[in-house]
Amino acid sequence: MKPLRLGAPLCLLAALAHAHVGSPDIYLEGKAGPYQLFVTVRPPLTIPGVAELEVRSESPGVSEMRAVPLAMAGAGAKFAPIPDSLKVSPGDPRFFTGSLWMMTSGSWQVRLTVDGTQGQGVLSVPVPAFARSSKRMDLGLGAMLSILGLFLVSGLVAIIGAASREAKLDSGQQPAPANLRSGRKATIIGAIILLAVVWGGNAWWNSEAVDYSRRIYKPLQMSATLNGAELSLQMREPGWMQANNVRLAAYRVFTRKMDDLVPDHGHIMHLYVIRQPGLDAVYHLHPEQKENGVFRLALPSIAAGLYKLYADIVHANGFPETMVAEMDLPPLSSRPLTGDDAAASAQPWQTSSAANTVFTLPDGYKMEWLRGDKPFAFRLTKSDGSVPSDMSLYMGMLGHAAFVKTDGTVFAHIHPNGSVSMAAMMLASGMPPGMDHSAMNLAETLPNAVSFPYRFPSPGRYRIFVQMKHGATVETGVFDAIH
Amino acid sequence: MATIPAQSGNLASFPQTRVHASEKTAAIPWYIWCATVAATSATIGGYWDISWHESIGRDTFWTPAHMAIYLCGVLAGIAFGYLILHTTFAKSSPLAASSVHIFGFRAPLGAFIASWGGIAMLTSAPFDNWWHDAYGIDVKIVSPPHILLIAGVYGVVIGTLVLLAGHMNRSESSHAAGNRLILYINGIMLVQIMILLMESTERIYLHSLLPYIVTAALPPIVLALSSRLTGYRFAATSVTAFYMLFRLGLILLLPLFPAEPKLGPVYQQVTHFIPPDFPLLLIVPAFALDLLWQRTKTWNPWKLATLSGFVWVSLFLAVQWPFATFLMSPASRNWFFGTAYFFYALPPTSFMARNVFYPSSLTPVEFSLGILCAVLIGTLAFRWGIARGEWLGKIKR
Repeated sequence: MKPLRLGAPLCLLAALAHAHVGSPDIYLEGKAGPYQLFVTVRPPLTIPGVAELEVRSESPGVSEMRAVPLAMAGAGAKFAPIPDSLKVSPGDPRFFTGSLWMMTSGSWQVRLTVDGTQGQGVLSVPVPAFARSSKRMDLGLGAMLSILGLFLVSGLVAIIGAASREAKLDSGQQPAPANLRSGRKATIIGAIILLAVVWGGNAWWNSEAVDYSRRIYKPLQMSATLNGAELSLQMREPGWMQANNVRLAAYRVFTRKMDDLVPDHGHIMHLYVIRQPGLDAVYHLHPEQKENGVFRLALPSIAAGLYKLYADIVHANGFPETMVAEMDLPPLSSRPLTGDDAAASAQPWQTSSAANTVFTLPDGYKMEWLRGDKPFAFRLTKSDGSVPSDMSLYMGMLGHAAFVKTDGTVFAHIHPNGSVSMAAMMLASGMPPGMDHSAMNLAETLPNAVSFPYRFPSPGRYRIFVQMKHGATVETGVFDAIH
Repeated sequence: MATIPAQSGNLASFPQTRVHASEKTAAIPWYIWCATVAATSATIGGYWDISWHESIGRDTFWTPAHMAIYLCGVLAGIAFGYLILHTTFAKSSPLAASSVHIFGFRAPLGAFIASWGGIAMLTSAPFDNWWHDAYGIDVKIVSPPHILLIAGVYGVVIGTLVLLAGHMNRSESSHAAGNRLILYINGIMLVQIMILLMESTERIYLHSLLPYIVTAALPPIVLALSSRLTGYRFAATSVTAFYMLFRLGLILLLPLFPAEPKLGPVYQQVTHFIPPDFPLLLIVPAFALDLLWQRTKTWNPWKLATLSGFVWVSLFLAVQWPFATFLMSPASRNWFFGTAYFFYALPPTSFMARNVFYPSSLTPVEFSLGILCAVLIGTLAFRWGIARGEWLGKIKR
C-alpha cells in the first residue's frame, strides 16, 4: 500500500453528523394525496424530546392536518399512537405547526394526514432521531435549586436534631442538658449522613450524565487510505446504539450495524471529495462496497491537495449517516470520470464573489441561480441561453446539491424533494429501499430548472455545488452565499 | 384491626397504656386528616401516573395523575405551613407546649417533617422537568429527581405518622381509631415503598437475587414499626394485606378505563389503562411474622430481628419463586393476575413480552450467599423498624 505524501494515511474522526453534517433539520417537498406540502421537521436535541413540525400547503382547501410518529420499520411501525392535530396559523390558513415526542433513538417517520376539500392525503416524512447533546442548567434554575437543596438539607438536619432533643419531652417541659447534648450529637451525625447522601446523589447524577453521553450520537468513523490510485475507505463503529449485552439485546429495538447498508438512488455510498480550504475542486463519486465496512474506488484524475471526504450511506431501516474523513492527495492522473461520477473546479471561495449568480461550465453551458420565490432554484442553459433539449435525470433526480459551509461545520446533500434520502422515503412509503433509480427515466421532456428545499442552519459563508444532467454529461455548478 | 391486644414484657409498654386507658375516643385533629388525605392522594397519583406513562405516555404536566401527586405537596405545604405559623405566632395555640423548635419556628415534630416532604416534592418538579430536557430519561422510576419526589412523599407519610403518634401519646383516651389510622398510613407507606421497588421486583427478575435483597431492605422496617407501635397482633398482615388489595384493585379497575398511546413507537397495542404487576406475596411471610411476634414478646430485639430476617427472606423466597413461575405461564394471563397487560413501548423482544425470566449470572453458591446477605439486611431492617416503633411510642411532640 502506497503511503500518502510519504506519510501514514490520515484519518480524522467524523464531526457530529447524520445524513448531513451540522444540518439537523429535515426538509421535504412532497404530495399528501392531492396536496403539495413543504414540510420542515426540527428534531429534538435530546431523546426523548420534542420535535417541532412546520407544514406549508402549496395547495388550497386544507382544513386539517394530523401528525403521528412511527418507527420506520419493524414492530414499532405496526401500531400508531393517537395523532396530534397541527395548529393552523391565524394569519395564514395554509401554514400549520405542531410538536411531536420522539421517544427513542432510531429511524422514524412522521406520518402526516391531510384533510380538505379534495379529500384525504397522506405523506410520510423520514426522521432520523438521535440525541445530539445534553442541556446545561441555566443559572437561574441552578441558583433556585441550590437554595432549595440547601434548605432541604439544613432543614432535615435541624429536624433530626429537634427530634432527638425535644420529641420525647412532656408538654411544657424544657430540654435538660442531656437532651441538648443528645440533640447536638444527632445534628452532627445527621449532617454527616446527609452530606454523604448528597455526595452519593451527586455521584449518581454524574453517572447518569455519563450514561446519557454514551447515547449521544456518534457517527460511524471512516479512515481513508490510498494505494496507487485506489482509494480504500474503512468504516469503524465507535460504539453507539450497540446491543452488546443480554439486556440491550432484548430491549434495544434500534441498533446500528455496518452490514445493513442499502442503495440510495442506485449507489451504496455517495462520496463527495472537496478540496480544502478553498472548496475549489469537488468530486461526486461512488465507491463500491467490497466487504462489510470496506469500500474501494479507483479514483479519477484528481488535482493534488488536502481534501475532505463526505460519505453518505443509508441503513436498511432508513437511518442515514454521513461519515467524514480528511486526506492529502498527491496529483493523480488516472481514469476519466465515468457513469454517475461528476466533478467541478472553481475559484476558491476566498477570491470568489457571493454576488455571482451565473456559473459557466466547461462545455460552455451555463448554470444560473434564479434566487426567486424559491431560495435555491437553478437553471441550466446552453451557451446561447437556449434550453437544452436532452435534459436527463441524474441518478433518478433532476439534480443534486451539496451545501458546504466554508468553515467545514456544515455539509448537506440535498435533493429536489428535500434533505431526506430516497431510500428512507421509499421505506416510509412502504417500498423496498434498495430500488435502483439510476435506470429510471421519463418519456416526457424534463425541465431545465431544479429547486432544493433547504435553509442554511447557521450564519456564515457557504458554497453550493449543484449538479444537473443533459445527455450523458453531468454538469456541476458552483455558487457562493453569505447567510 | 378490630381489637388492640395487650402487650407484655419489654416489647412495647405504650400499647398497654393505650388499651387500658378510658374508652373515650380521642378526636383526631384536622391536620392529621389533612396529611392522611395528602399521603393517600400521592399514592393513588403515583400509581395512576405510572399507568398513565405506560398506557398514554408522557403528557402535559397537568394530567390528573400529576395533580393528585402534587396535591400532596400543596396540601402538606399549606396545612403544615399554617400549623407551624399558627403554633409559632398565635398566643393561644394548644400545641405550643407540645412543639419542637426549628429555625425559630415551633410546631409538632411531624408538622416539620411533612412540610419538609411537601417542599421536597415541589422542588422535584422543576428539577424533574430540567432532567427530562437535559437527559430525556423518563421511562424509569429510579432517577435523582424522582427519588427527591419519592423522598418528599415519604416525608409527608412519616410526618403524618409522627404527628399521629405524638397526638396519641399525649392523649389519655382510647387509641383504637388512631391505631387503625396508623396501620392505614403504614399500608400507604408500604405501597409507596413498592413503587420504589417496582422496577427491581418485576416478575422477570423473581428468579434472580435482586428482588429478595430489596424486599429485605425496606418493607421489614414498616412491618416491624407497625407491629411495635400499634401492638396489634396482625399488624404486619394488615399492612401487607392493604398493599395486596391496593395493587389488586388497580389490576381490576385500571383496565376498565380506556387509554391509548399518544407517543410512539408503539410496540404493544394498548386500549385501556395498564395496571402494575400482580403484588408480591409479602402477606405470607408477614402473617408468619405476626404469629412469631405473638410468641416472642420477651425476646431481645436483636435476637428477634435476626429470626424475623430469616423467616421473612426464606418464606418469601419459598412462596414467591414458584408463584413467579405461575405468573410466567399462560394460566396467569387473565383479568385477575393481569400478566397480559404490557406497557405500550415494551419491545416484543423484551423478557417481559416473551414471559421469560431475566437470566441470573449467579452460581447456586453465589445465590445462596446473596440470600444470606438478604437475611442480614432483613435483620438490620427489622431491628431499625423495632427501634423506630419504640421511639414513636414515646414521642410527645
